[in-house]
Amino acid sequence: MTVDPSLLGVVQDVSGATVSVALDELTRSGLLFVEGQPYHVAQVGGFVRIPHGFTDLVGIVSEAGAGAVPERLVESNPFGRMWLTVQLVGEGSRGRVFSRGISLLPSVGDQVHIMTESDLAVVYGQTDSPSRVRIGKVASASSIPALLDIDALVARHSAVVGTTGAGKSTTVVRILEGLTDSGRYPSARVLVFDIHGEYGSSLREQARTFRVEADGRTAAPLYVPYWALSFEELLPLTFGQLPDDSSLGAVRDEIVRLKRDALKSYPRDGVDLEDITVDTPVPFSIHQLWFNLHRLVNATHTVGPTQQTIETEALQRNPDDSPVESGDPINVIPPLYVGATQAAGVDKVYLSGSALNVRRQVDALASRLRDRRLDFLFRPGPWAPALDGGVELDLDRFLLNWLGGEHTVSILDLSGVPTTVLTDLVGSLTRVIYDALFWARYLSEGGRERPLLFVFEEAHAYLGQSRSHSVKTAVQRVVKEGRKYGIGAMIVSQRPSEVDATILSQCGTVVAMRLANSADRGHVVSAVADNLAGVLSMLPILRTGEAIVVGEAVPLPMRVMIDLPQYLPESTDPPVVGMDAPGGWDRNREPSDYGDVVSRWRSQDPRSARLVGNTASEKTPTDNVSKD
Amino acid sequence: MERQPVSSSNLSSVGYDADSQTLEIEFDNGSVYQYFDVPQVTFDGLLTASSPGTLFHEQIRGLYRYARL
Repeated sequence: MTVDPSLLGVVQDVSGATVSVALDELTRSGLLFVEGQPYHVAQVGGFVRIPHGFTDLVGIVSEAGAGAVPERLVESNPFGRMWLTVQLVGEGSRGRVFSRGISLLPSVGDQVHIMTESDLAVVYGQTDSPSRVRIGKVASASSIPALLDIDALVARHSAVVGTTGAGKSTTVVRILEGLTDSGRYPSARVLVFDIHGEYGSSLREQARTFRVEADGRTAAPLYVPYWALSFEELLPLTFGQLPDDSSLGAVRDEIVRLKRDALKSYPRDGVDLEDITVDTPVPFSIHQLWFNLHRLVNATHTVGPTQQTIETEALQRNPDDSPVESGDPINVIPPLYVGATQAAGVDKVYLSGSALNVRRQVDALASRLRDRRLDFLFRPGPWAPALDGGVELDLDRFLLNWLGGEHTVSILDLSGVPTTVLTDLVGSLTRVIYDALFWARYLSEGGRERPLLFVFEEAHAYLGQSRSHSVKTAVQRVVKEGRKYGIGAMIVSQRPSEVDATILSQCGTVVAMRLANSADRGHVVSAVADNLAGVLSMLPILRTGEAIVVGEAVPLPMRVMIDLPQYLPESTDPPVVGMDAPGGWDRNREPSDYGDVVSRWRSQDPRSARLVGNTASEKTPTDNVSKD
Repeated sequence: MERQPVSSSNLSSVGYDADSQTLEIEFDNGSVYQYFDVPQVTFDGLLTASSPGTLFHEQIRGLYRYARL
């Protein structure tokens, strides 16, 4: 009788989806030859096939050798035959598409075969489907392309995790490159929160970058209209904490009043005057809000608390009776008041009668409004409201810019955003975009018709375990409910253990690069749905650029050698020994100009002012930081 | 700036702006750098050299200040 050359052994013990296999005598050599190809026997992470009736059950080797001997056989089998522990993951048959899940368990005595390259190609290689995108090749069988199912990848969320230098950014770029292939997916839609500004150049062909203080050449200016944010989101960015409910109420009422006044002058579709709330995204001037509140709490008056109005304010006056300084909301200049006096009489000047205890918070708002680094938020270019709430452009142009432009990828380069507001900003923007697409769910622009993929780069920085934060709430909403409205998330992190467990567990697909830290590994393993701890045990020994992909976007867990993208991300290691590159320690030193260094730092723009070839860069560097 | 292709192991194209004496080099990996205050003759050399890569190594790298585009 001829023996099937792919035979490994027979099933000896079945316990749920875990199967113990006794290896055949013929596999002693550790190498099997099938159709002229050598295959290693008993490789942890390798695949086996168990023919069972008309179907083939497919499993992954999770353990091999003496440790895999079933417990009750340890006594009788101290040495000799080799054992395998196999985790069943799915079933399929030649000519039929592979599916996850097991309908029947194998019986004791069933034959176990090695998966040959052609078997694997059937499982992995549904190449011609338009919903499959290539990210690399299967590490164990380099002729087979590694394909991800784009539907599951986008709608069911994903996580890309790995130690610094394991190839995370390169992998993200490669995946995005595949997802936004203009020939296949001309209407792809991706929004990247790029914390360090490293993706702009590597996705230059399909992406538009938005950056604070952009020069207009490599990036468009990043503007965030503060008036689109909800009250909850606006508070930490403006006042910080308000001390009590009465001041919260007062500030809220003042915003509603300003929004209502603005709407009276500039009616907008879809919102009635009566329906307006503090969260309605209509323009109002935050400068006017500051000015009104400042006067409310700081003004002195010529009459007692009960009769005070705007007319009774005691402004300091010049000899000709004109006010010394009546204040300027746009430039955040407060009015100058006469000091309050103690002595009773006709000239007595009274303190403001307002009971609000928000003086410090109003001052904090003023200092933020004056902070030029926050101009992208409080003076958002064409979306900056005039004092009466009039704006040059409405939110439709804002959304068009980010979600509907010619480019398929929008990169929000947040490298120039002060860290104090970064977290709140990511949360607010996620919520704003989510809301817009949620309410557009029946429109062709909406997420159901044209899904959106959020990429949260460096997620551990703002999606931490302990923090209860607007950004966590917003991202949790995306990963929990976004699927229904066509809004997907890709969580990218080098410290998965510091990413909120709820968020990570909602990621249907995990692309795990090398992870050395055991806490991080544990977090990833526990977030993975399948019974796959064995496969993920290889995480610390993956090569650079190699990833294990598990989850919904792949038919079987897959060890992938990721393709190099067309343009490498800027986060690749700089060459210390440059050889053919311009830089490196092995070169003679050219003349230096640290003046250029300082002017780059001050202008927050990494491109040298000396570059020639376009008009934007030829302006002289500006050293004057003050605006006035 | 207009660049002309060169055949080299690590440079893919070079360009020159005579007014500002700026030499622009695109490397094989797609990154573009500008070298400042480079004389015209060096640029001409790059175009005619049998091995522009060697000329870059000997006469440009480490001699002129540069910035990435």
